[in-house]
Amino acid sequence: MLPENWLAAVEALRADGFDYFDWLGCVDEIGRQDCFRVILVARNLAKSAEPRMLSCLLPRDDPRIDSVRGVFAGAAWHEREVAELFGVEFVGGERRRLLLDPGFEGTPLRKDEVLAARTGLNWPGAKEPGETDASPSRRRMLPPGVPDPAVWGDRDASQPASDPAEVAESAVGGRVLRRRT
Amino acid sequence: MNSPQSSHRWIRLIEPACTSCMICARECPSWCISIDSHTEPVAGLPTGARDRTRNALDRFAIDWSLCMYCGICVEECPYDALEWVGDLTKAGPSSESLVEEMAEKPSARTSS
Amino acid sequence: MRWIDWYGDGSLYVLDIALACCTLEFDAASPVSAAPVPTLDDRAHVAVVISGTVTDRLAPGVAAIIDGCEQVAGRRPTVISFGACASSGGPYWDSYAVTKGVDQLVAVDAYVPGCPPPPEALSAVLDQIAHRVKS
Repeated sequence: MLPENWLAAVEALRADGFDYFDWLGCVDEIGRQDCFRVILVARNLAKSAEPRMLSCLLPRDDPRIDSVRGVFAGAAWHEREVAELFGVEFVGGERRRLLLDPGFEGTPLRKDEVLAARTGLNWPGAKEPGETDASPSRRRMLPPGVPDPAVWGDRDASQPASDPAEVAESAVGGRVLRRRT
Repeated sequence: MNSPQSSHRWIRLIEPACTSCMICARECPSWCISIDSHTEPVAGLPTGARDRTRNALDRFAIDWSLCMYCGICVEECPYDALEWVGDLTKAGPSSESLVEEMAEKPSARTSS
Repeated sequence: MRWIDWYGDGSLYVLDIALACCTLEFDAASPVSAAPVPTLDDRAHVAVVISGTVTDRLAPGVAAIIDGCEQVAGRRPTVISFGACASSGGPYWDSYAVTKGVDQLVAVDAYVPGCPPPPEALSAVLDQIAHRVKS
């Protein structure tokens, strides 16, 4: 559904008997579409806790959606978590951080965010069979989580910038991936 | 306080079975396995046979301060060169002391 | 602070900074006779065990507790990093929110490997600290 229908849909869900808020989360659909998918699950306790799921697609470059904490007070914490980890703005929602330090920079759960620790360390698996440190050589394998240098990190600045989908795909790892031209 | 008898407390290398294929080091989620190896020509081939090389293991180390005892390395090894044992992994006074060198030094090995 | 009188005889007091799963092994290792006590005997060995993952958010708190232990005990306690997370960050070494080992905050005297270590591993280290190792 579209963001503008979100609040009304959640209100209708509650009015329909699904008044037990279960969880609210987010999925980064980069690579399939340039969207975040916000998901809410509520249950109907009168009907053996039957669950019902609502989901809403938000554009990745401007992810804003109404807060539903007026409908389900418990959603406030889930929204705070999604806001700080994905960078989604919940209009009318609580602004405070939930888990991360106030000074934390970045939105770690986006798939184009790279784990710096993995890129900074030498991966023991980068060596080939029959190799020691003393013989660095040809193209090396990259570990999962580290994008190809042509795409992210120590890349050629004269090349056009990588888009997030390429970074996300490249970070899957396991093989050296060539950049799509 | 006595926990049930467990065999999953430490991982041991069976060095003769290791071919330095690097699969365990690559699959380890904690990046705690370090392997060094080199290639050697195989000796004692019949006359006229083409030259062959094999991998010789120089170093196999596990950093126990990182290991999460998932056992992926044991399962992934195609040559069954890693096995679980029931002894406790030893504590140590520094994180360096928790790096266990498991391959025999080359000088200790008899030449094949 | 609630110290555990480990042997029940006032010779060793242990404080657990219970952060994650490893603390369950700490509980399993505590002798049945051990009871929490509010104050310390001046002559006893004193140990602090960090059981579990030190997140960046909690790191200042953990450092403050260990500092506080030193104040209360009047001497530097033996610091034991219990389990992979406390020793190096463990399986979360690459996380954006985890301190890679409590030794980033304080000096550590004993590193106990394991995920989690079995209770015997902690008992063995504490027995050594209290000089109760059978020779």
